[in-house]
Amino acid sequence: MSILILAEHEGGEIRPATLNVVAAAKAIGGDISLLVAGLNASSVAEAAAKIDGVAKVLHCDDAAYEHELAENLSALVVSIAEGYSHILFAATAAGKNVMPRVAALLDVSGISDITDVVSEDTFIRPIYAGNAMATVKSADKVKVVGVRTTAFDAVADSGGSAGVETVAAVAANDQVSFVGQELSKSDRPELTSAEIVISGGRGMQSGDNFVMIDEIAAKLNAAVGASRAAVDAGFVPNEYQVGQTGKVVAPNLYIAVGISGAIQHLAGMKDSKVIVAINKDEEAPIFQVADYGLVADLFDALPELSKALDG
Amino acid sequence: MTYTAPVKDISFVLNKVIGLREIAKLEGFEEATEDMVGAILEESARFTGEVLAPLNSVGDKEGSTWSESGVKTPEGWKDAYSQFVEAGWGALAFPTEYGGQGLPMCVSSAVQEMWHSANMSFGLCPLLTQGAVDAIHHHASDELKDRYLPKMVEGVWSGTMNLTEPQAGTDLAAIRTSAEPAGDHYLIKGTKIFITYGEQDLTENIVHLVLARLPDAPEGVKGISLFIVPKFLVNDDGSLGERNDLKCVSIEHKLGIHASPTCVMSYGDNAGAVGYLVGKEHHGLMYMFTMMNQARHAVGVEGYGIAERAYQQALSYAKDRKQGQTLLGKSEDDQGIVNHPDVRRILMTMRSSIEAMRGLALECAAAFDIAAKHPDEEVRARCQRRGELLTPLVKGWSTELGVELCSLGVQVHGGMGFIEETGAAQHLRDARIAPIYEGTTAIQANDLIGRKTARDGGQGLMELMADMTETLGQLEKADNTNLKAIAKRFKVAMSSAEETGKWMLGQNDATMPSATSVEFLMMMGRLAGGWMIARSAVAANQLRSEDGADTPFLDAKIMLARYYAERMLPLVESGKTIITESAESTVSVAVDQL
Amino acid sequence: MKILVGVKRVLDYNVKARVKADKSGIELANVKMSMNPFDEIAVEEALRLKEAGHAEEVVVLSIGQTQSQETIRTGLAMGADRGILIETDDLLEPLAIAKLFKHVVEKESPGMVVLGKQAIDDDSNQTAQMLSALTGMSQATFASKVEVDGDHLNVTREVDAGLETIRVKSPAVISTDLRLNEPRYAKLPNIMKAKKKPLEVIAVADTGVDVSSGLSVVEVNEPPEREAGVIVGNVAELVDKLRNEAKVI
Ligand SMILES: Cc1cc2nc3c(=O)[nH]c(=O)nc-3n(C[C@H](O)[C@H](O)[C@H](O)COP(=O)(O)OP(=O)(O)OC[C@H]3O[C@@H](n4cnc5c(N)ncnc54)[C@H](O)[C@@H]3O)c2cc1C
Ligand SMILES: Cc1cc2nc3c(=O)[nH]c(=O)nc-3n(C[C@H](O)[C@H](O)[C@H](O)COP(=O)(O)OP(=O)(O)OC[C@H]3O[C@@H](n4cnc5c(N)ncnc54)[C@H](O)[C@@H]3O)c2cc1C
Repeated sequence: MSILILAEHEGGEIRPATLNVVAAAKAIGGDISLLVAGLNASSVAEAAAKIDGVAKVLHCDDAAYEHELAENLSALVVSIAEGYSHILFAATAAGKNVMPRVAALLDVSGISDITDVVSEDTFIRPIYAGNAMATVKSADKVKVVGVRTTAFDAVADSGGSAGVETVAAVAANDQVSFVGQELSKSDRPELTSAEIVISGGRGMQSGDNFVMIDEIAAKLNAAVGASRAAVDAGFVPNEYQVGQTGKVVAPNLYIAVGISGAIQHLAGMKDSKVIVAINKDEEAPIFQVADYGLVADLFDALPELSKALDG
Repeated sequence: MTYTAPVKDISFVLNKVIGLREIAKLEGFEEATEDMVGAILEESARFTGEVLAPLNSVGDKEGSTWSESGVKTPEGWKDAYSQFVEAGWGALAFPTEYGGQGLPMCVSSAVQEMWHSANMSFGLCPLLTQGAVDAIHHHASDELKDRYLPKMVEGVWSGTMNLTEPQAGTDLAAIRTSAEPAGDHYLIKGTKIFITYGEQDLTENIVHLVLARLPDAPEGVKGISLFIVPKFLVNDDGSLGERNDLKCVSIEHKLGIHASPTCVMSYGDNAGAVGYLVGKEHHGLMYMFTMMNQARHAVGVEGYGIAERAYQQALSYAKDRKQGQTLLGKSEDDQGIVNHPDVRRILMTMRSSIEAMRGLALECAAAFDIAAKHPDEEVRARCQRRGELLTPLVKGWSTELGVELCSLGVQVHGGMGFIEETGAAQHLRDARIAPIYEGTTAIQANDLIGRKTARDGGQGLMELMADMTETLGQLEKADNTNLKAIAKRFKVAMSSAEETGKWMLGQNDATMPSATSVEFLMMMGRLAGGWMIARSAVAANQLRSEDGADTPFLDAKIMLARYYAERMLPLVESGKTIITESAESTVSVAVDQL
Repeated sequence: MKILVGVKRVLDYNVKARVKADKSGIELANVKMSMNPFDEIAVEEALRLKEAGHAEEVVVLSIGQTQSQETIRTGLAMGADRGILIETDDLLEPLAIAKLFKHVVEKESPGMVVLGKQAIDDDSNQTAQMLSALTGMSQATFASKVEVDGDHLNVTREVDAGLETIRVKSPAVISTDLRLNEPRYAKLPNIMKAKKKPLEVIAVADTGVDVSSGLSVVEVNEPPEREAGVIVGNVAELVDKLRNEAKVI
């Protein structure tokens, strides 16, 4: 078996998500090739070659791949797909954008968001916001798969020594162009790979009040997340959303503050190792998944918590 | 606390018990097919659950407030009302010629239940508008109809009913507000009290329907006329003109429905408020009576609507709250107080009573629908009799029972129920008005034994009993022990009621039946509710044998009916004792002995 | 321009999914079903584009059981003009759905297709991307803003690090994200009119589209349960437990 993975990178560095996908590929077993497509991305290709378990890096450098445009990336993947038994993507916004195209172009089913590998053709994936786990089996000639990164422990980004091969670019699609981006700047770790996440919900009442969360996050070196309600209300930007339709996180510690615990939110965090809930309503469903629950007004509890962390 | 409209239960009554399909066959009601009505109920459930319900507690805490410049409704009210109008909910049952949808009353009642469950104070505004529209539609000239109805049907103008005066509440003969002829209109002067939504900031204009006396009017009820008195006069082109000489001088501080402004209205402080006569002089009260059935029915719907909200809240609390080891809990995690048998008793009482009341109200509405549209005159007359007979039961019984159920809802919460923050108390406070306005329960009872029973020599009642006997036969025939158990209690209750009715009719001294008429009203309400819930059991039992039947749902329907039969119908039996034996002692202690 | 919108009938988002005893799937008999929330956003967006004068007709397409007609009627009640149901009792994979959409696209030639980014039942997040790949229509997924600029669209997308804007040429396939708009409530007169709007029902077999799939569901299980936790008395106790018991800080 041979597995192709579309590597994700930004700012000249491999995104951590790719290390989780390699882990999933190792669970499937077989030769692992990593495709690094980008503009001036040779340093990335070199870094990719060092990832544990990678046998080969395919490097394609072209302006078409500067901005992760789905049309261009999928065409490239399909152009080299021949011979692979599996093609894997991270189930990130970027990966979800490309994976289904590749599947469709190869006329096979896409398998979204796997959380476990049963065998080379059988996988487990959550459905219904994680209220059920489906075991699915693929008879397709090539398995095109999205990997839920939190479900696989990242492999080491060193220790490997793969060879780097150059592959030819495919003509860029002229119907689509990148205009710009508005990325939130944060000194905090990235949400999906952070060891600790602290999220705020509608109970925070305003964006300004998230300062209290930021303060604690800084002390714990945690990432900051939010419920949909907090994002919809404009307290924090969209990329903070944790849940069925936002980001899935599974840190060592997840602290939910002023979040009721709707199933759509739980879907994004209930695989966290330790869950703490702070909510003034003792009936809030979030307490049903919490390892430690604190029934309290967050406006008292957060300043106290911040102080206690100094000690 | 959230509200989720019981769409499935409501649809079950409409489709399987009262037979919406038959009503949709009537000319003019063709739109009211099961799938259309299903879609309407779904969207109404969304709207009431998402927009109206969240404002219920805000409305209670903030209330409407009065100032010189007018009445301000609570935060969020105005926006919700414009969404309500925008979506066209107010126009559901109104005639199509004035922009309504012309849907049957059974459908509009089903939708209105949701308004009142979600937010009773809010629901009152369109409810009053509906009363005013009915009155104008049935009795006013075409000119007045064209001028006022389209905007009222749309909901951008509201309507009010101005009957009550300080000295004239139940006894409207005592009305003193005066109307002087002045060319093509009249000048109205006087004070009205307790006028619901007499002033508010939700609509561009308010169309007051005012009962008043002409200078030459005969004394008493035969001398009262009905007038349209708009807050802003309406120009010939339909635009708004001058402000009329009327104002809201204060609003009441009340036990409940805080957001619904209850206004003292002063007409004609200066030159006199311009009013337009509806129909003929001195016929005002008669006009009021023709539309009274609808208004009273609507208040009855309010009665169980609010109880449904209280029930949902109580049920949710009972599942979560844990106190001690329960007898019915199956595991450690299953120890909510809902598993204490007595808490079950309360919840079953609430749920089964609500289903009985809903069944009765929708049956009554369906009777009016058939009475309005059926091609056969005899059927029309029979259904009109049925609707009129059931109306005082819907109003009187459902509102009184609604209060009791809201009180039970508080009980489920224990001490938390008494604490305002929980929200259970609000339902009880809100529910308390329903047995008072639109004619107190005593007046409903008088209506039942007087106008609705004695006047037609008991014909309507006998027809009702005959239909009940048919249901009894179906229950007895069914191959189901639960239905047989229902039949047993239903049979006894029917004969108790029959004997009591005979006793009532046989009294020569009016004091005796009058002393226990409210008991009789309750007895008949319980029995008629029992009939409806028994019919739902019969329907559920038939559906059980169909492919893909929703057995848990249908079994629950049957068991709710059996509970009702075994727990509520025996009160009909005891009612007989109370009515026939307590009348004398009721009136035998002199006032100065009290 | 004509806009084609996909609407899927799914278990209502308020209802907790329960796994069937025989592990073959989720219990869907006699439970409340509704339009997939992302599809409501899709219908809303199409209607707004029409109201802004960018489109003449909004067509809603559902693929599923007969009851999906209700979902289509919901879309028509919101204001869409016409509905198409491709009827099937099978649970089709996104690839088959995308092929059926392509079939309709070829017949209807819409200038835009708007789909939800995912259906909240299978959570696949694939159909829009597949449709774009199969038809060559431009792709703009996870949209939080759509601006029409002549024969181009400027689409702001929700990505992992924030927002990005791309410019795509029409015809395009859009998939909606949560912040794109807030769907309207249906108006009563429109609910009633919806019944009279045309709704064409086509059997899958009559489309000639191959809907077979290489993917099969072996079984569906409950997710692992979390062990019950404890309620702590105060912040000090919480911090102590996190440090000394769970050892996570
Ligand atoms: C299609 C769809 C997709 C969705 N996707 C997601 C998703 O990906 N992620 C997501 O999160 N949601 C999602 N949702 C929304 C989800 O259903 C809930 O509405 C949302 O998670 C609620 O957010 P919340 O808990 O912050 O707000 P609420 O449910 O309003 O809860 C606020 C909580 O704060 C508490 N609180 C208030 N004040 C205080 C105080 N002073 N101190 C302590 N506690 C306080 C309250 O007790 C309450 O429990 C989705 C919904 C749909 C329909
Ligand atoms: C919140 C609120 C909103 C209202 N909204 C409106 C409105 O919009 N428009 C409007 O016109 N009015 C409205 N009313 C007035 C309401 O309809 C009257 O209060 C009601 O009809 C009772 O009249 P009353 O208050 O004068 O009581 P009374 O008539 O004085 O009754 C007192 C008691 O005597 C009993 N009683 C009286 N006569 C008889 C009888 N013949 N036989 C047996 N018992 C009798 C009654 O049952 C009652 O128990 C409202 C009242 C309230 C409190």
